[in-house]
Order: sequence, then structure tokens, then C-alpha cells
Amino acid sequence: MKLLVCVKQTPDSTVRVKVAGDGRSIDASQITWAISPYDEYAVELALERKDADPSTTVAVVTVGPTRSRDALRQALAMGCDEAILVTGAAAESLDGLAVARALAKVVEEAKPALVLCGRQASDDDQGLVGQALAETLGWPHVSTITKFRPADAGPAGSVDGIDVWREVEGGHEVWRTSGPVVLTVQKSEKEPRYPSLPGIMKAKKKEIPEKDASSLGVDAGGAKLEIVKMEPPPARGGGKIVKDGDMKQTAAELVRLLREEAKIL
Amino acid sequence: MATTVAAEAKFDLTLTEEQQLVQRTAREWSRDRLLPIAAEIDEQGAVPRALVREMGQLGFMGIDVPERWGGAGLDMVSYVLVMEEVNRACASTGVVLGSHVSLATAPLARYGTDAQKERSLIRLAKGEWLGCFALSEPASGSDAASMRATARRDGEAWVLNGTKNFITNGAFADLTVVFAQADPEKRHKGIVAFAVEKGAPGFTVGKLEKKLGIRGSDTAQLHFTDVRVPDDQRLGAVGEGFAVALWTLDGGRIGIAAQAVGIARACLEDSLAYAKERHAFGQRIADFQAIQAKLADMATEIDAARLLVWRAASMRDRGERHSAAAATAKLFASDVAVRAARECVQIFGGYGYLQDYPAERHYRDAKITEIYEGTSEIMQLVIAKEMLGDASA
Ligand SMILES: Cc1cc2nc3c(=O)[nH]c(=O)nc-3n(C[C@H](O)[C@H](O)[C@H](O)COP(=O)(O)OP(=O)(O)OC[C@H]3O[C@@H](n4cnc5c(N)ncnc54)[C@H](O)[C@@H]3O)c2cc1C
Repeated sequence: MKLLVCVKQTPDSTVRVKVAGDGRSIDASQITWAISPYDEYAVELALERKDADPSTTVAVVTVGPTRSRDALRQALAMGCDEAILVTGAAAESLDGLAVARALAKVVEEAKPALVLCGRQASDDDQGLVGQALAETLGWPHVSTITKFRPADAGPAGSVDGIDVWREVEGGHEVWRTSGPVVLTVQKSEKEPRYPSLPGIMKAKKKEIPEKDASSLGVDAGGAKLEIVKMEPPPARGGGKIVKDGDMKQTAAELVRLLREEAKIL
Repeated sequence: MATTVAAEAKFDLTLTEEQQLVQRTAREWSRDRLLPIAAEIDEQGAVPRALVREMGQLGFMGIDVPERWGGAGLDMVSYVLVMEEVNRACASTGVVLGSHVSLATAPLARYGTDAQKERSLIRLAKGEWLGCFALSEPASGSDAASMRATARRDGEAWVLNGTKNFITNGAFADLTVVFAQADPEKRHKGIVAFAVEKGAPGFTVGKLEKKLGIRGSDTAQLHFTDVRVPDDQRLGAVGEGFAVALWTLDGGRIGIAAQAVGIARACLEDSLAYAKERHAFGQRIADFQAIQAKLADMATEIDAARLLVWRAASMRDRGERHSAAAATAKLFASDVAVRAARECVQIFGGYGYLQDYPAERHYRDAKITEIYEGTSEIMQLVIAKEMLGDASA
């Protein structure tokens, strides 16, 4: 079975992000980049399938600026078999829908049995690309999954469906899908693996073919969304310590403050 | 000729893509898996075997061993990057790794025959076997060539007798690189190196030492009583043993220097975090210039130490003479670590003296870097002899 995982390179979760001088983008000068965490879960989930069935191949794709190549290299080092970089001037400023359209072209060419995406990217948190990709392809999709495996096959071993687990309040839902499907990933069974050193060396030997976004029929002008402004959250004010009087008076004062000042009671 | 700038200056310090990925794996693994239990490792006096297995799976245990022999096929620079990260989290685990990689796999990779590599190096590189290096003896440390352990030729084998002291990983090692004197009249040119496997009759583990720091790493006495070692377990030529030891220690010292940088970085990072939290006289202690000066000095010295470590590592990678560069890196970095640990305890104040905070552990761990794999005095000797053009160093 061939799996395709779509990943986005986002600022590493340990980075403190600052709004850039233009007021509508982030200052990229001091940023360490990483695979977006949900996408990393998607990679891990795909690799867990490969662990269970070594005939599985896992390809990984990203649409983004050339620095995104590092994210692909990391995915290869984790154990993915191949990687595709969609980049070029047009790929610098795409919105989610345009990214999904570019990915759809890649999917049509690569013909995977299923596509995995993270449930949302950690930078803009839109949670759009997976669903938009399914829609563009005309494929079904199951969102926020935690596990999948080929449906129990007949004795001949022919698999014609995929069972998919979703976490719901108090338990799991299990879905069965037939044919190709897009899954968006909530988390993997295990924490995403660290790229091993031999894995890093194996990844080094792999070519990462580059596709120009414009050759996939997407152009930057096609973005339907424009970021007008970015604002950091307001600075947090200092806390207030209620300490005058005995316990009863303090409690009364606290309730008054919560009701009248904080207005949350 | 005799200049402190031992190498042609190469100012491009950019790490390759692989080196950056290696650093990231080591950093994240050490932060997630090691740091949370570092205090427990120290207190219980043992690095869990499961952690050593994990280091094997990640490829740390065979980092610079060629892929053909089960390693990751990386270089010395990658090794020092990993050493810094692992030691930043836990110096005990760092020395388990360091002794295995630079003192056991390295001499096997360089001096071993294909048959020896097939048998031992592959297992060591994958972390299935743990390695150790047995040079020091109760009566000889710095003056290792005056060892008393003997090797007597007997047909197709050798018979080893003697006691080795202070052997890191000695209690659990599957393979011991050991040195013995075969021809005392030839002094250091009579020494022979062997790769002896665990369980050889007459080869036993003696007492384990109780130590100031790196308490999670075991330090054992090893006894050899009429141990028969087949000649095909000899490492290098007869009489080449001391050269094997010196070449091995040149690499090991770069590793220990990287360990020192890791410990010093732990001191700085823990100090920074504490100085921002702790208040005195109505402000954060980080707002006192006296504290800022300590932090700035620590950062500066750590940077300088790291550059010396990277230089020595890349000289070894390029196959250049690097004994003095390795000694320089170790001399300086170990001094930096000890000073950083002292300042770290000082910044933590009374809490720095308690086992509840990491400063106390760093203070105990840092000191060893000035002692093992050649004391600071011996490092000075190596550096001075190189400058003075005395090839006997
Ligand atoms: C925790 C730990 C782990 C160790 N692990 C290993 C290991 O895995 N394998 C191994 O073989 N050994 C190991 N050692 C031994 C270590 O390498 C020696 O302790 C070290 O080389 C110093 O030797 P020594 O203890 O005999 O001190 P000595 O050589 O007796 O030195 C005593 C003092 O005299 C100074 N001195 C000696 N000679 C000179 C000189 N020519 N000029 C100036 N000053 C001099 C020394 O610098 C030192 O200050 C370990 C030691 C420790 C403590």
C-alpha cells in the first residue's frame, strides 16, 4: 500500500513568534523550523503502518518555500521512502485552498491508496487543507483520526477497505472506508519517532525532486484569502492577590472581584 | 611552526544538513528522555540499561563507525554534537556513551581486522554490546606506560595477568580493550592491546568505586588471572599497543571536552532560568549586574570551549595531527565546566547546595572532566611538548 503524507513546515513549538515590521506576517529571521506537530503525528502513523507491513511505502509532500526541504529531509530521516517538494515563487504565498489544489495534482500523479494530513497546522490553525484536498479530489475524508489499518481481509488477503479510529467522548468510533481516502490526524499511537542517525544518513542519499507550483496550475494570484493584519495577544496584566482580612472576608472579596471586575461569575 | 594556531583557520562553522539533524535528534531525545530522570540516575547510581539500548537504536553507539560495520557512518563533529547534548542532560549517561564510542568502537574500527570487526564491531556499533577501555592500573594512571599487567605469548594465544583500575563501563562491558606489557625492556614499545570478551576464564570484575560525581556510570576494577586470549583478539601489532592507546585517547579527549561543554551549558541554562525566577531586594537576581557578569562570562567561555572542541573534531575528521588540539580543547573546556559549575551553585545560593536542585549535581559532575582521559597537567604537558617540538610527547 502506498501512503502519501502532506506536511507543512512551521515554527518549532519552542520558538517565540514575533510579528514582523509589515504588521501582517511573522518575523522569520530568528526562527527554527520544524514539521508541524499534527503532521508529525501523521508521519508517525504512516510509519507505524510501514513497521507493521514493510511492503508499505510512505511518500511525503510539502508545498512551501525552499526552506521546507528541511522538513522533508527530517521526514525521510524518520523513515519515509520518498519526498516531493512543491515550491517556487508561487508557493510562497498560497492560501489553504490553493495549497490543497496543488496537493491534489501531486496526489493524482502519485496515486496513493490514502492520504494523511495533520488535522491543522500549528502556525495558522486553520484546519482547512485536508478537507479541501478531499473535496478537490472528490475523495471521502475522515477527520481527527488516531489509528487506521487495512480492514480485515478475506483469506486471499485482498484488502478493499480501511478501518479508521476516531477518538470521541468516552471511547472510539471505528469507520470503514472503501477506496482512496483522505485522513486528517489527531495523534499517533506512539510519540513521533526521533530520526535515527542511520536514518539521517539514508535520507542524505535520497533525491528530493522539486516541482514548480506554477507548473501544477496554481499561481499566487489565485489566493482567495489575504492576511490583512497580525496582532500579538495583549500583554497580560499583573495578577491580584486578595489577602486582607480573615478567610471569610477574603472569600467574599474574591467573589465580588470575580463578579464585578472580571465579570466571570 | 610552534604556534598555538595549530590548524589552518577554517572559519565556516556551518553544520551540514546531516549534522544539524543529528544535533536535533540528540537534543530532543536528551531533553525528553534523559533530563527528566537525570537526578534519579545520579541518586540511584545507575544509568538504566533501557536508555543505553535506546541510544543504540538511535545510532549513537556507533555514530562514527562505517555503515559497513553496523554504524551510522557519521563523523567526529557529529559525535561531539551528540556528546554535548547528552551531557547537557546527564553526564553519567554521557560518559557511558563516550567511553563506549571513543574508547572501544574507535580503536576497533581503526586497528581491528575484518574478522574482529565482523565479530565485535558490528555488535558494539548497534549497541547490542557495551564496550570499555582498560588502561589505568592501581599504580599507574598518568604514567600509563609503566603498567604492570603482563601479556605472555603461549603458542597461538597470550596469557594476561594484572589488575586494571577505574574502568568506566567495566562492570557490564561485553568487550574490553585492554593493554598489557609483553616486553618490559622495550618499555612503551613492549605494550600490546587486546579486545577481550566478557566471560573469558580468569577475567573478573572486582569492586565498584564510590564517586563524587557521574555516579550513574560504573567504575570498576578488572582482574586478569591467567586469562588466555587467542592471538586473533590482539588489536594492532605486537608492541603497537601504546600507540593504540594514545591514538584512542586523542579522540576520547575531544569527547570529554564535548562532555565538559555539555555540563557547562547545563550550568548556564539552569542558572539563567533560576536568575529570572529568584527575587532579592525587590528585583530578579538576574537584574543585578554581578549576576549578569557571571552569566555573560559563562556564555563566553562556553562558546570558546565549543569552538576548540569543534576544531579538534574536524581536524581528526580530516586526518590531520590533532593531539595538541585535542589536549587544548580538553584542558580549556574542563576548566570552563568546573568554573561554570561553581558559579551555578553560587547563583542558586543556598539552594545550589541542596540535592533538590541540579546545581549540586553539576558541581560534582564537572570535576571529573579535569581528571580522566588525561589530567589537566598531562594536557599541559602534551601541548607544551608539541610547541617545544619534542616528538616523544
Ligand atoms: C571516574 C573515573 C573513570 C575513569 N575511567 C577510566 C577508564 O575507563 N579507563 C581507564 O583506563 N582509566 C580510567 N580512569 C583513570 C583516569 O584516566 C586516571 O585516574 C587519570 O589518568 C589520572 O591517573 P591517576 O589517577 O593514576 O593519577 P596520577 O597519575 O597518580 O596523578 C596524580 C597527580 O599527579 C599529576 N601528575 C602526574 N604526572 C604528572 C606529570 N608528568 N607532570 C605533572 N603532573 C603530573 C596528575 O596530574 C595528578 O594531579 C578513570 C578515572 C576515574 C576517576
